[in-house]
Amino acid sequence: MLQKPSIGVFICQCGGNISDTVDVTRVKETIGTLDQVKVAETFEYLCSNPGQEMIKKAVKEKVLERVIVASCSPRMHISTFRQVMKSAGLNPYLMEMVNIREQCSWVHDDKEKATNKTIALIRAAVQRARYLEPLTPEKMKVTESVLVIGGGIAGIYSSLELADKGYQVYLVERNPSLGGHMAQLSKTFPTLDCSACILTPKMVSLSHHPNIKIFTNAEPILVKGSSGRFEVKIKVKPRYVNPEKCKTCGECAKICPVEKPSSFEENLVQEKAIHIPFKQAIPNASVIDKDYCLYLTDFLAILGPPGTRGVCGKCEKNCKNQAINLKQKDKILELKVGAIIVSTGFSLMDSTLIGQYSFGFHPDIITNLQFERLMLQGLHKPSTGEVPKKVAFILCVGSRSETTDGCSYCCKIGCMTAIKQALLLDKAVTKAEPWIFYTDIRAFGKGYEEFYAKAREHFILFIRGRASEVIPNDNSLIVKATDTLLGKQIEEQFDLVVLSPALIPNKGTKELAEMLSINLGPDGFFLEAHHKLKGVETRRKGIFVAGAALGPKDIRETTMEAMATASKAATFLGKGEKSVSPEVAYLIPGRCDLCGICVDQCPTKAITKGKNEVIINPISCNGCGICIPICPKEALDLKNTTEKQMIAQIKGIVEGEDTTPKIIAFVQKRTAYGSIDLGGQNRRNYSPEIRIIRVPGMARLGIKHILHAFAAGADGVIFVEGDDSIFNRDRMRERVMLFKKDLRKFGIHPLRLQITTTTLPQYEKTLALFDDFVQRVKKMTPITQEKREEVKKYLESEKTVT
Amino acid sequence: MRARKLSHEKDKLTAQAKTTQIGVRKETRRDFVKEVTKMPGGEKILECIQCGSCAGGCPSMFAMDYSPMQIIKMINLGMKKEVLSSSTIWVCSLCYTCATRCPRNVDFPTLMMSLRNKAIREKLVKDSTKSNFHKYFFEIVNKYGRMHTPELIVKLLDITDLHSLLHNARLGLRLFKIGKLHLRATKIETSWVSSIREKTDQEEIQ
Repeated sequence: MLQKPSIGVFICQCGGNISDTVDVTRVKETIGTLDQVKVAETFEYLCSNPGQEMIKKAVKEKVLERVIVASCSPRMHISTFRQVMKSAGLNPYLMEMVNIREQCSWVHDDKEKATNKTIALIRAAVQRARYLEPLTPEKMKVTESVLVIGGGIAGIYSSLELADKGYQVYLVERNPSLGGHMAQLSKTFPTLDCSACILTPKMVSLSHHPNIKIFTNAEPILVKGSSGRFEVKIKVKPRYVNPEKCKTCGECAKICPVEKPSSFEENLVQEKAIHIPFKQAIPNASVIDKDYCLYLTDFLAILGPPGTRGVCGKCEKNCKNQAINLKQKDKILELKVGAIIVSTGFSLMDSTLIGQYSFGFHPDIITNLQFERLMLQGLHKPSTGEVPKKVAFILCVGSRSETTDGCSYCCKIGCMTAIKQALLLDKAVTKAEPWIFYTDIRAFGKGYEEFYAKAREHFILFIRGRASEVIPNDNSLIVKATDTLLGKQIEEQFDLVVLSPALIPNKGTKELAEMLSINLGPDGFFLEAHHKLKGVETRRKGIFVAGAALGPKDIRETTMEAMATASKAATFLGKGEKSVSPEVAYLIPGRCDLCGICVDQCPTKAITKGKNEVIINPISCNGCGICIPICPKEALDLKNTTEKQMIAQIKGIVEGEDTTPKIIAFVQKRTAYGSIDLGGQNRRNYSPEIRIIRVPGMARLGIKHILHAFAAGADGVIFVEGDDSIFNRDRMRERVMLFKKDLRKFGIHPLRLQITTTTLPQYEKTLALFDDFVQRVKKMTPITQEKREEVKKYLESEKTVT
Repeated sequence: MRARKLSHEKDKLTAQAKTTQIGVRKETRRDFVKEVTKMPGGEKILECIQCGSCAGGCPSMFAMDYSPMQIIKMINLGMKKEVLSSSTIWVCSLCYTCATRCPRNVDFPTLMMSLRNKAIREKLVKDSTKSNFHKYFFEIVNKYGRMHTPELIVKLLDITDLHSLLHNARLGLRLFKIGKLHLRATKIETSWVSSIREKTDQEEIQ
């Protein structure tokens, strides 16, 4: 059914910016003759106060239901005119803007052609305006609690910030204690303050906070629901010790018969199977390592039954407080949260992969994290226990390398850690000789360069050259390298060799990314939504990432990011309610048959399967429109870019006999449209045959739109996609290939369809392509009217099916 | 005013002259680097971060005039003449220590072989004693279809150096006793040598 609202068209002259090239009076007269157009006015400056008053007056006096403003780019003034609509008493989404400045008057010289194009653009807007619907931002309820995954410094900081703001926080940590890597460090660069002294007070205040619940030994196993209303299942592994009853007397550890390498001490020290993780651990209680406990694991089962399971149990019998329970089982908890913060951190690369450094063949070849533990234990050589004097620090072990075992990125903290450790060594040991073998010293942070200078003042030897080889000897280690600045080979003996391995994403990062359906970068770390502007957000709304889970990072940056995520999460959750942009996908009731194609394709997981139909969460939906053309039942649609609106606009833009050829450019709303606007602002002339339609993205378009364009009289279609597209290049090409195949079936040359991707400043490339494309289409034999009719017939027959 | 302008122009001229002296003028530099990146082994030379892993472990660096790392840098600076007339490309023993340790996957030994070919073709070999080995080796293989060690020794022998002559004579006698040196050369079919040569020549033309 064709709706017949009354429409008012207002054409801005922009003080000559538009009226010098476009014959505004002719436009006004032609548009005034169109159906339903009650008012067609032109004014010098529509955005000025008198101009706005004129629109308001016309709306009220002539009882207009739709308003079209033909002026500058909607990127510039759409909010101004929406405000005008509001004060005139109309829904702001019933206004349509036509860009006749950046797309007509500034880029075309030919007055006749520019005027024709203006008329076509406004006509399209009039056609589209018939189907405009009033939209209001929806309000959604969100759960006012946050799940923080990972209890390192990033998790601790973001939890504290959020809890102080009044949100309920669930902190989930995989290890038996909070603290992460920072708890293992001796001192921090560049101020050399004690790491534990600044971390543990935070951990204590965290454990006493009324708004924070801590789950140690736990991991999320399932994340359901959508942004704002997540349902998370958490598996809590047994600790076998009740932390409330345990008094950390340590009697159990004395009688435990099993010894194992301590993971907190980086395997430098042996500890019992039942042990306290470290002195300041939170929760401060013993824990049993299941893999080593005789009672819990069958150690001798290989020799023949019975194994050792269920035999020992000494600790349980001897505990005075009855804190130990060896029969504990896995617990599964369900949490309801509104937002999730991921701060899973990093781990060190296995240095044995870089074979030439002989890591693992000699106890005196250690990693920098092991050196931190050695500093706290009292510095000694792991092999003999002597104090090391001459120590080599080898940087970039596996970092900045393109080999299969290495990582291509910089580990970012290796240089400063080595400098810090060298300085600490210099302080702790008299006549110490630290040598640092570096590729490039990267001292980029605040106070780092001064720290580097301080190290040189302390006569620490810096050798520019990556060590080539470490040869283990009986008493000492030989390091081979070149001083690349002198061009001479070095072969030196050392007491201790400290490697700085590359930082890699923590174990389980990939699985977590799949569970949360957020993206990983090529380096394996989590990927932020935008490299510069959305540094802690992910593609999925309501999920934020902080700290080394995003990439190698020092403590200062990590805490800053943690606080940023807390602030972002608080903004997202608001006060329990969230207003949502109305430009989202919606379901046309009664059509869906639950085939599930859209559920798989949705990049933000906004669509879930319901009972009879799919359910769309408007908070998660980002309005990309990918679900609409792929739906076989045409059951989905996108608000403010509905199927009807689009087809009406396509038809309107190519109607009439003004120019040949007519080419429609579908331009992505955000980046690409801005790019073409930029071209307009720089007065880059291009062919007036190009008519631009603003779409949410390439994903919104199906073959139907292209066929409609050709049926209505277009001679070519060009897509301009922004670089922030939800498609990657291959998938985009794949889709266009399918379109081209379909076009060939109707006898339309596939070269009439063109696709390009652009970044914001790259308008020159896009506009040059416009010119080339117009030339190409001009050379082709025109599409006959019969072919167009054939396409039209096909489209009509399709309509009857659905 | 004019004087100032002139002095400024003079500075500019000397600056240009300096750059041409070390052969870093942009065009020649790019030409040579492009040429090398197309050679086998030279694909990754632009990725070199000058870390020195290659030079640190090189067993024959004592005899080189430039270290492997310096050779890569010189290629990137476009110092064609210096690279091709250096002794490094001939001294390299192709042990592949550098290639296994290189973090950026530069295939240095293969590049050395390519540069040897280029040096001969461009007649830029400065120290012919080092390249002579390869020349004589090929000559002998071409003649007999296989190696004949005594002939190679005789060809490479430097009669003026008495000390090494005596030293080598002792070694030769020992080898002769074990039966490792055959005075008479055995000849096998030689057609395969020329077929290889034809193939490489064809590839070069392409």
